[in-house]
Amino acid sequence: MKWYRSLKTTMNGWTILSILIVSFVILPNLSILVQFFSEPNENWLHIREYMLQSYIQNTLILIVFVGFFTLMIGTSLAWIISAYDFPMRKFFQWGLILPLAIPPYIGAYTYHGILNYTGTIQTTLRNQFDVTVNQDYFNIMNMPGAIFIFTLFLFPYVFTITKAYLARQSTGLIENARILGSSSWRIYFQVVLPISRAAIVAGVSLVILEVLNDYGVVKYYGIQTFTTAIFQTWFGMGDLQSAVKLSGTLMIIVVGLLILERVMRGRKRFSFTTTKVKLLQPVQLKGRQKWLAFSYCMFIFLIAFIIPIIQLLQWAFYTYEQFFATEFLGLIINSVSVAFIASTIIVVMAIIISNFARLNRGMLAKTFPKVTIIGYSIPGAVIAVGVVTLFTSVDRQLFGFYEWLGLEPTLIMSTSIFMLVFAYVIRYLAVAYNSIESGFDRIGTNFTEASRMLGMSVTKSFFKVDMKLIRGAIFGGFILAFIDIMKELPLTLILRPFNFDTLATKAFQYASDEMIHQAAIPSIFIVVVSGIAIYVFHHVLEKE
Amino acid sequence: MFIHIRNLAFNYQGADEQTIKDFNLTIDQGEIISILGESGSGKSTILRLIAGLEMPTSGNIMVGDHCMCSNSTFTQPEKRGVGMVFQDYALFPHMTVEENIKFGLQKWSRKEKKQRVLEVLELVNLQDYRKRYPFELSGGQQQRVALARALAPKPKLLLFDEPFSNLDADLQIRIREELRRILKSTGVTSIFVTHDQDDSQALADRIVVLRSGEIADLGTPNEIFGTDCSFSERLAVKPRVLSRV
Repeated sequence: MKWYRSLKTTMNGWTILSILIVSFVILPNLSILVQFFSEPNENWLHIREYMLQSYIQNTLILIVFVGFFTLMIGTSLAWIISAYDFPMRKFFQWGLILPLAIPPYIGAYTYHGILNYTGTIQTTLRNQFDVTVNQDYFNIMNMPGAIFIFTLFLFPYVFTITKAYLARQSTGLIENARILGSSSWRIYFQVVLPISRAAIVAGVSLVILEVLNDYGVVKYYGIQTFTTAIFQTWFGMGDLQSAVKLSGTLMIIVVGLLILERVMRGRKRFSFTTTKVKLLQPVQLKGRQKWLAFSYCMFIFLIAFIIPIIQLLQWAFYTYEQFFATEFLGLIINSVSVAFIASTIIVVMAIIISNFARLNRGMLAKTFPKVTIIGYSIPGAVIAVGVVTLFTSVDRQLFGFYEWLGLEPTLIMSTSIFMLVFAYVIRYLAVAYNSIESGFDRIGTNFTEASRMLGMSVTKSFFKVDMKLIRGAIFGGFILAFIDIMKELPLTLILRPFNFDTLATKAFQYASDEMIHQAAIPSIFIVVVSGIAIYVFHHVLEKE
Repeated sequence: MFIHIRNLAFNYQGADEQTIKDFNLTIDQGEIISILGESGSGKSTILRLIAGLEMPTSGNIMVGDHCMCSNSTFTQPEKRGVGMVFQDYALFPHMTVEENIKFGLQKWSRKEKKQRVLEVLELVNLQDYRKRYPFELSGGQQQRVALARALAPKPKLLLFDEPFSNLDADLQIRIREELRRILKSTGVTSIFVTHDQDDSQALADRIVVLRSGEIADLGTPNEIFGTDCSFSERLAVKPRVLSRV
């Protein structure tokens, strides 16, 4: 009887919808896992014998080096900005997050354009100073170049998380170290890095997941990784089965990395148990030190944001007339509308699951949030493989239904925009979920309970009380998901319907076709929209 | 008896020990009961069980003729007709005092709502604060608004979770006297939990002393505190025969 009572009490609309949403998220991943164990074909045996090792090797080299360099740059900038006061410090606090507005694939072809034989630097050297340089020094389309690009445009993940931790959580320890007379280098290496371990691991993990997800940079620079291999196997060889096996292998690596992250973070969390937050007071730097700190921040800001932006603007200046035509308008409409629809669905789903998880106890309430954020850890190409296999089998099941409707029994679902939106939702659900969950955490459950004690149901309480109190978090979640979708490349390239282009796919296509000037306008549009969102999110919403 | 709690037991998920063990209590209509205990004794949990915010592992709760909870039934908090004043008041920050009070009157007509808001504001002496937002009120005023909001829908039972913990000592003494006056004038049955024996003594008709989720003592304030030995000593002794349970 008791289980029936519990079931009856907890089984409401929120629970049922949460179960449905989580099933949607799991299904494509399950379809990969199921097919991963199917009988291998010849292609797969060939890949495993001759190519898999180099995919793993290249992927590992990328994540190790990018992880290391983003750690060094991200944490050092976070430390300088949290602990010291120097010119433009306040601007750098959010200005150094701006490189996130430039997707690495745009950064990749922009830097290639700057550094190659016909690029700005070499042309200027040749024409103005009659200097011809050794091409080897300026060739960026190789592994070190890819590491450079990823580091430059992904370090803000480590920077933001570590900065937030240092500014709010570490005050006592750092002030004690200062009082004990430690030098700032010693504090950085012996206090800051060890105590920020959990935050750093979280930031670097995000960077690594982004690197694993990337298709644009590695494809453009000709580096064979898992993602490029999935594309090649699928579209080059027409072998979806082997693509599934590669995806499964990559999923195993990702899960391994996530477990490693947990182990490395240990039992540490980002915050201490105290609720008393004391902000770290920055020390005023003087003389040479002041300008050194400023120069370091400015140098990173210049190479990671200003220089690529100026280059893109220059290219845009050559081609803007071609672009302010209907084609460009169509690209904007496509990008904005899919991003808007997917972000709206994402936010609604994230609200349902987070509200269910916070108001219930038990296994489902504990498991669902973890499953919800899985999508963000899984590279886009893998999700694409899972979604396609799922939708193709759904289409096959529906052939009879299509005939009954008088339609030709063909692939309808798996060639529609619906499949792309579905994939976006799985991939970016975590982004909005984290924002909304933190909003719910901030308000706690007291207001909901008060509302229920005044006769309102859970749903009415949500609309009349909770939603109004967390609207900033909802808006933040929407913006983050929207921007990520606007920038998204691998999923869109694989799953877009025929003749459907977004700003991201068009920019990448132009760059791949060596029409780099034409790539500038859609790229700038993406960067500007992302930049505004970053500004709103970190500057305005954080203040709120 | 108006409220009848029988064999109530509860444990939080993952906890080794039961938070509430075999809790029995009957309460008369209009009675003010205080549940007194130290931190972690389970007193707030009992309140949450009565409110329906937690589901007991076993036991029954009857309010009037209605079974709120048994092994086969569970009435959701919004359907219990029970009011609650939270420790931090939980006044909705985006609503004015008037809107906060009207919140629980959704099924009332507009005219009735207006009338009821005026009544309860008068009861708590805050007629001039209708249009203020919670952050524009002092701690004592917020507490009175929370009380007015809980009283407005005319609940069968009113629950208070540490109602004075956020008030300074002077205000605490004034407000608890005022609270007793209001509760007695409305005739609403009330249960409040506190760790402060002065609050219990000043407000309650009967006191339940709770220790490790079990009733350690039960009686009128005189019966509980009217002896020479200190309260802490009494907490340490074995429970007396709980004749009125």
